Amino acid sequence: MKRRSFLQAVGLAAAASAVVTPSIAFAAEKPKGSNEMGIDAALKALTGGKKITPSSKVHLKAPEIAENGAVVPVSVEVDSPMTPDDYIKGIHVFATKNSNPRTVDIMLTPANGKATFSTRIKLGSTQEVLIVAETSKGEFLSASQSIKVTIGGCG
Amino acid sequence: MDISRRDFLQIAAALGLVSVTNGYATTLGGKSPADITLKDLYDFNDTGKLTLLHICDMHAHIKPLYWREPSTLISAPNLVGTPGFLCGEAFAKHYGLEPSSLDAYFDTYMDFTALAEKFGKMGGIAHMKTLIDTITKQRGKSNTLLLDSGDTWQGTGVALKTGGEAIVKAQNYLGVDVMVGHWEFTYGKERVLELIDKLDAKFISQNIIGDDPFADEYEELIFEPYTIEERAGAKIGIIGQSFPFTSTANPKEFTEGWSFGLRLDTLQEYVDELRKEHKVDCVVVLSHDGFSVDQEVARKVDGIDFILSGHTHDPSPKPIVINDTVIVIAGSHGKYVGRLDIDIKEHKIKGYEYKLIPVASNIIPADPAGEKLVNALYAPFDKEFNAVLGKTKGLLYKRDTFFSTFDQLINDAIMDEMKCDISFTPGYRWGTTVLPGDDILMDNVYEMCGITYPNVYTFELKGERIAQLLEDIADNVFNANPLYQQGGDMSRLGGVTYDITVGNPTGKRISNLKVGGKPIDPKRTYIISSWGGNLQNAGENLQKEKIRPVYDVVRDYIRRKKVVDVSNAGNVRLLDYDCGCPSKGGSC
Repeated sequence: MKRRSFLQAVGLAAAASAVVTPSIAFAAEKPKGSNEMGIDAALKALTGGKKITPSSKVHLKAPEIAENGAVVPVSVEVDSPMTPDDYIKGIHVFATKNSNPRTVDIMLTPANGKATFSTRIKLGSTQEVLIVAETSKGEFLSASQSIKVTIGGCG
Repeated sequence: MDISRRDFLQIAAALGLVSVTNGYATTLGGKSPADITLKDLYDFNDTGKLTLLHICDMHAHIKPLYWREPSTLISAPNLVGTPGFLCGEAFAKHYGLEPSSLDAYFDTYMDFTALAEKFGKMGGIAHMKTLIDTITKQRGKSNTLLLDSGDTWQGTGVALKTGGEAIVKAQNYLGVDVMVGHWEFTYGKERVLELIDKLDAKFISQNIIGDDPFADEYEELIFEPYTIEERAGAKIGIIGQSFPFTSTANPKEFTEGWSFGLRLDTLQEYVDELRKEHKVDCVVVLSHDGFSVDQEVARKVDGIDFILSGHTHDPSPKPIVINDTVIVIAGSHGKYVGRLDIDIKEHKIKGYEYKLIPVASNIIPADPAGEKLVNALYAPFDKEFNAVLGKTKGLLYKRDTFFSTFDQLINDAIMDEMKCDISFTPGYRWGTTVLPGDDILMDNVYEMCGITYPNVYTFELKGERIAQLLEDIADNVFNANPLYQQGGDMSRLGGVTYDITVGNPTGKRISNLKVGGKPIDPKRTYIISSWGGNLQNAGENLQKEKIRPVYDVVRDYIRRKKVVDVSNAGNVRLLDYDCGCPSKGGSC
């Protein structure tokens, strides 16, 4: 933060209320734990920077418009033989605009037989939901869909 | 007849003048209004043996009414001027309507007041019945089905006061065979099930699923997803699609435990099931998705022969065909009956013929039994409904994307009583029209705001939140992808003016937002009054002592004013189009 804008911020805060101290301006940047990453950092943490390829093998089923943003039903199925040498290791659900975009990580083994699950996730706003599936060969496959979260109001 | 747009407008203008000054207009190359006969309305190129009769969005109008179509119908740039987003001059040009004709009167706003005096009221079950019976008799009862796309039980005082029952009786009288729903659900789950018990028609929906994990119906269908009807020696599979966004567009508490949605994956499964397992000859989707959403449905789901659409109130004189699926929609308020003849031979559809028939109450005689029924249903409420509240100087109408005069009257009434900074009135597409100089009856007020959650709430919202909510509502109306639209119009705002660029990205459409003539202050707290939506859930400091039903607020205001004079100058400036009814590509 530049000195000039800092002084302005302090001045404004002081003007608004005598009790307010300029501590906000001094606060250090919050440490970034695994739950504090933006979408890009979260994806990088998962893939180690490897390419994510959109794939028709990943099937995402979710509503176009959420009935309730707090519990949005999401179903994922990934086409895979699920044999010891070719299976889906993990399925990861990202709410790309939530403050914590990582919502679900599912780990699988060939014994699961099918790479599929359903859950409900919370969406803070209208956004893209991204599914990333990791194969046993180390590839990352994806599918995504925009889900609208709205107060509604038409009819 | 092929005429250029310019010619058309000139002729329309000339005829408009003629009709006002002489009280008589000749239509271009067609019959003069006085010469239109019952025979013209019944005239049809009979095809095959099967006839599907289609009604939608009657909104409980069992009596004839005036209903003016929109003079502004704007959407995202990719959709403007396409069926579902056509009005006025663009509509007339697209469908080749003759100016000042009966069709122009029914389908457009142009010259409405003058033509209303000439052609009279529209719809009404007694007139619909005569039309339906004539066709049924001609085609044979065993060859005909009457299908209702919903929004039938709600929209008038008689519907509200009888908890929807008066309209169920009307449907039984008309002989409705199958229906789906939307506003029906605003009577609440228990009442919906009670009314379905009284209804002769089947109520079907493939897209309503239980989502209460503690209920027996969790993850189960609430209604039968489809019905198979045998008519004209053929098996007709009819799949029901109720309004997919009922739980967001209307209060959730009415349908707690039921989950809505488009559910195109299961729709495809039922289409396949009907074809492969039940070997039906024809697959029909009876839908309340909306006309533009159903065009997307036809693109995404294979094997549907016909979609009988509803919800968006479009009169569509011609069917549209997408991915081998024929889509029709039959307007609103009981103004039309759609007739679809289908020729099925050797289990295959060989052809079809469609006509959207206007229910012109001055031309199609009333069935006496229907008039008797309507009178009986209204009798307990006549005294209240027929009370004259005042007069209107100008035309009071509902519709249009941003503004209409009856909505402005409601906003004026709310602002006058609630002393708020801003009032919000919902962008529904149902209501009524009152001609200039006419009395405003209590019945008209119910026609505009007769809902089961009528309360006007007064609460506080920050300026920045108001701006954000307006953008959110704008995206529900103007999203370029029909699947993310909810099929209504913009909320109507009192005390506010703004500019809008519909084609801008989500969140960036609205500019120059002013409250009480001053630029909105993002940090200031404003007093908001709103009804018919969910907005109060976003607000703070609800003023409980001010809560009152909107129809009482409007009634009292009109009584105080005696004569209302609402200007038709809207409060919204549209920046990316020069007119309210652009043609494809945006030209005016």
